[in-house]
Amino acid sequence: MATPGALRPSMGAALQICRASSTRGIIAPTRTVTSRAAARPAFCPSAQAASLSTTPALLRRHKYIGARVTRDNNKKRGESVLRRTGTRWRLSMSDEPLPQPVKPEELPPIETDPDHGLWQFFQNRNSIANPPLKDAEHGRAWTVEELRYKSWEDLHKLWWVCVKEQNRIATAMWERQNRQLGYGDAESDTRRKTVKATQKAIKHVLTERFYAWEDAVELAKSDPEIDLSGDGPAFTPKEYLEEEVPGLGSGEEVAREEVKANGSDVATSSTPDSSTLLSATSSEQKTAPTI
Amino acid sequence: MQPTRILQGMRYRKMPLTTKDMNKGFYKGNRTGNVGRHTKYGGFTVEWAKVRTYVCPSLEGFTLTPFVNTEKKPVWGAFKGDTKGPRNPETYLARWKSENGFD
Repeated sequence: MATPGALRPSMGAALQICRASSTRGIIAPTRTVTSRAAARPAFCPSAQAASLSTTPALLRRHKYIGARVTRDNNKKRGESVLRRTGTRWRLSMSDEPLPQPVKPEELPPIETDPDHGLWQFFQNRNSIANPPLKDAEHGRAWTVEELRYKSWEDLHKLWWVCVKEQNRIATAMWERQNRQLGYGDAESDTRRKTVKATQKAIKHVLTERFYAWEDAVELAKSDPEIDLSGDGPAFTPKEYLEEEVPGLGSGEEVAREEVKANGSDVATSSTPDSSTLLSATSSEQKTAPTI
Repeated sequence: MQPTRILQGMRYRKMPLTTKDMNKGFYKGNRTGNVGRHTKYGGFTVEWAKVRTYVCPSLEGFTLTPFVNTEKKPVWGAFKGDTKGPRNPETYLARWKSENGFD
């Protein structure tokens, strides 16, 4: 015949159709006798007219009994974030235009506050740490002799200036090590030691003053001019201050004191009289050595 | 706790104690100082009078630096003849009388 395959299917296919139709009949038991008869296909021995097509059966894949599953169990096979493959299947937002990140070169410049307190941790705003030669450009530490002239306020402020300088030096050393900027630790170390020596001198002066004060309080208890009880004035001098004579105790004595660079002349100020009181006050007011 | 192998034997016994050694009851501080007291229920009350605060004054207009010009040589001998020197209480008292005696 011209087309044997289509018009004359195999017996196996015919049996399948029979099997399929018989199950359909069992599933719908409420059907009437007449309709059940109508549902039977033509190829069954006692069948009526139904679907004559054999294509569904032929197209069905032949499954071997006990065959393994050959599907790809990994639905995300090949998807990689690092390699930016994207998803395997189209998602609902796949067609939507997503925003792209701005390139680092095109980003706007970061605004910084020029008066920010953290700038005080750096010796130089342009470079992180100073070069060694610049770091070595510092003077010597304050001596105790020089600091004895200073008031409490000055010493307090100088202490904190030293603390800030140490912070700057420490930041520079840390950054130099972290970023491997090169040499400079030796110079930083010398600078730090000088700052520390100044701080030590400040502490020395303050301790000394405190001990002297303690001893002076003890001495004042036996001084007839001083009354520490709290009622009445603390100091009542037994000698009145003489009238100020022009030229005495103002020009000469001050010049002499400044040349000696003497904080307090012991020989003259043991018993306070007018001339030594004036000279003592004028010597106190002399300026401290400049840096 | 047990020391590592390198310290086994007599070596560990010769080292100074740390906070991790000994059974319970051994306390070793870390130089932070005392800031309060323990309560009988196992807690701790901070005594704010003991807590240290750091006061930084305003450095506006302050021109001194930690360094002094090397050309300026240190001057010695301010207390020549005075054995007690800067700690002389008489000097201190005399200065006080001249500067601060009258309020």
